[in-house]
Amino acid sequence: MTTATLDAPSESDIKPDDLRAEVEALSRSKSEPDWLLAFRLASLEQALGMEWWTGQEESWRRTPRDRLPRRARVTDFRASVHNANGRVTRVPQHAFTPHAHSGLIHKYHGDIVATDIAEQAEADGIIVKPLSEAALEHPELVQQWLGAVGQPLDRYDAFGRAIWTQGVFIYAPRGVVLDESLFYLVTQDTAAGDHWHYTLVVAERESQLSLIDAGDADDRRADLDESPLIHASVELIAEDGAQLQFASVQRWHRQTAALSTTRGRVGRDASIRVTTAAFGADLDKQRIDLDLSQNGGFAEIRGLFVGDGKQHIEHVTRQHHKGVGATSDLLIRGVLTDESQAVQYGLIRIEPEGQKTSAHQTMRNLLLDDGAGADPIPMLEIEADDVKCSHAAAVGPVDPDQLFYLQARGIPPKVAERMVVRGFLAEIADGVPDEHMREVIDELVEIQLEPARSNS
Amino acid sequence: MTSPLFEIDALEVAVEDKQIVNGLSLTLEPGEVHAIMGPNGSGKSTLANSLMGHPRYTIAGGDIRLQGTSVVDMPPDERARAGLFLAFQYPTDIPGVSMINFLRRAISARRGEEIPVREYRQLLNEVLGRLQMDEQFVRRYVNDGFSGGEKKRAEILQLGLLQPLVAVMDETDSGLDIDALRIVSEGINTFHSDDNAILLITHYQRILRYVQPDHVHVLIDGQIVESGDASLAERLERDGYEPFMERTKAEVLSS
Ligand SMILES: Nc1ncnc2c1ncn2[C@@H]1O[C@H](COP(=O)(O)OP(=O)(O)OP(=O)(O)O)[C@@H](O)[C@H]1O
Ligand SMILES: [Mg+2]
Repeated sequence: MTTATLDAPSESDIKPDDLRAEVEALSRSKSEPDWLLAFRLASLEQALGMEWWTGQEESWRRTPRDRLPRRARVTDFRASVHNANGRVTRVPQHAFTPHAHSGLIHKYHGDIVATDIAEQAEADGIIVKPLSEAALEHPELVQQWLGAVGQPLDRYDAFGRAIWTQGVFIYAPRGVVLDESLFYLVTQDTAAGDHWHYTLVVAERESQLSLIDAGDADDRRADLDESPLIHASVELIAEDGAQLQFASVQRWHRQTAALSTTRGRVGRDASIRVTTAAFGADLDKQRIDLDLSQNGGFAEIRGLFVGDGKQHIEHVTRQHHKGVGATSDLLIRGVLTDESQAVQYGLIRIEPEGQKTSAHQTMRNLLLDDGAGADPIPMLEIEADDVKCSHAAAVGPVDPDQLFYLQARGIPPKVAERMVVRGFLAEIADGVPDEHMREVIDELVEIQLEPARSNS
Repeated sequence: MTSPLFEIDALEVAVEDKQIVNGLSLTLEPGEVHAIMGPNGSGKSTLANSLMGHPRYTIAGGDIRLQGTSVVDMPPDERARAGLFLAFQYPTDIPGVSMINFLRRAISARRGEEIPVREYRQLLNEVLGRLQMDEQFVRRYVNDGFSGGEKKRAEILQLGLLQPLVAVMDETDSGLDIDALRIVSEGINTFHSDDNAILLITHYQRILRYVQPDHVHVLIDGQIVESGDASLAERLERDGYEPFMERTKAEVLSS
């Protein structure tokens, strides 16, 4: 079978009994309530009963699966050289530390190292907490929303609900409108190995919140023996009339295989807007699945990336319409240099009930080098007859006329190319809710383009 | 003897193996305005783009010299920094790149050093004011969503900011309303001095009433078939290109 070569050389060390014991010990060590342990264990059993993939799934077919570890371990962060004897020695400066925020939570070594919340946000009842802690203090809320987006998408997602060392719970009560973004900073402990993140975000009726999830690495230059796996399960709930924005930016260690599963449930006349920017990982695969089963919902997916070296950057998305008169829009823009590759598999699925749906997709890939490639695949599955849908996909070089125009004004070709490229990405970056974040993204784009361009 | 400001010397230009400009020669001295008129498809834009070094156009023969130095082997950005300017017939839009950022880079490139912010703002406001353009205009992306007239005005804005030695203007007057034509013409006249020269490509005599040409050339099939003073433009307006076409046909037949 030809796909066999794509798979990792061997199924690694999944030992069900050890895992069960480890998950239980982990949960106990955090004094989690029984129902949370039960949720973990049930998810673990689901995961154990699943395959990683067969390789035939549309969502896996184009992934270089040999670069993705088939592994699920409870990471022992105490063993990390960055975490001497289980004590957090020093928290490195995070590249995305915000100027202003309504609340902030920072994770390192598998646990929360800092939390902060603005006075007003706290008075309004905003919750920004480690998940185990939230489960103890707000059991009724966490229990209500845990896993409420639906069954896990696949084995990684199922493990993701089971073996996280620490998760995060973000909550906006009914009618509360936040003025600044909330920040969830994650610092990758490069020496510790795999990271499993679990994030639950709930915006109650008529509330508005924006969360920026930013990933950085503590030692980007480390030469690692084994590629770390980072998996993030993110569950977004926007109740009726709520507006939830989620922006995720990462620059993990370059050897990382990063996989994320972002699921959203959009309530009646509610909105979820997801923006992601991928920079660091060797392999970055994002699944974004937004569910519009209520009437009048709005869902937006925006993705931005700059690939270099042999990076593989993949988006697998679903805009799932069931409500009447809901709208969704996907816009992915990427720039690929060297031999980097991108895949976008975007599905618009409209159930028979989803009349008056308006759903759109645009995928655009700029190739700056001959070795770079992209495979955008927009898909439509439409069972309702009164809908408006559109999709567009493009792969190509920078427009020579744009370059010529800039050059004709004295701007050297390399600078001109970078201007066009940054302009191309600006439209996505401009949608990020935080100004400082937009600047950081712009800087990262610049950094990512720099070494790749000066080689040629 | 000093060399002329700008010389086009027996220039031949090909696009996709098809020769469009066929041995064209023209000399511009400082302080001069030359107008080129010619029917659609006669090769005016091909000439203009090739002078600026557009990669799609191949120089098949001849030479282009700025202040005595050949520019044919120079990439477009180098030509621009040396003082050559092209006002595009169809300016390209570049979404995501703001005018204000673009113009600052362009001026800095032309000057060979970063223009200080304060000086830049002053200069920008001055030229914007002269062209009766709103300050907000430069907040927009380069040519993105500009109306036809706004695009042409933006080209003149750049002319005023970059102060080239030789400005090639490809149908800058097309698509302008009466007031805009006057304002754009004034922009060109303000720029024009004894030190620079203008090559004005146009279909209409209208603009030549504002920007007075020292020489008018008729371009047909990639060749200059007639040159004269401003009165030649009036003749063209009256009689069209037909008489010149007939003549070139006759010449072709007899050769
Ligand atoms: N990129 C190209 N590929 C093929 N043919 C071209 C290309 N550019 C120009 N041509 C051809 O060269 C000839 C001259 O075109 P050009 O645009 O220079 O004419 P023009 O005199 O500027 O016309 P107009 O008055 O309509 O602007 C035309 O026949 C045109 O089709
Ligand atoms: Mg033309």
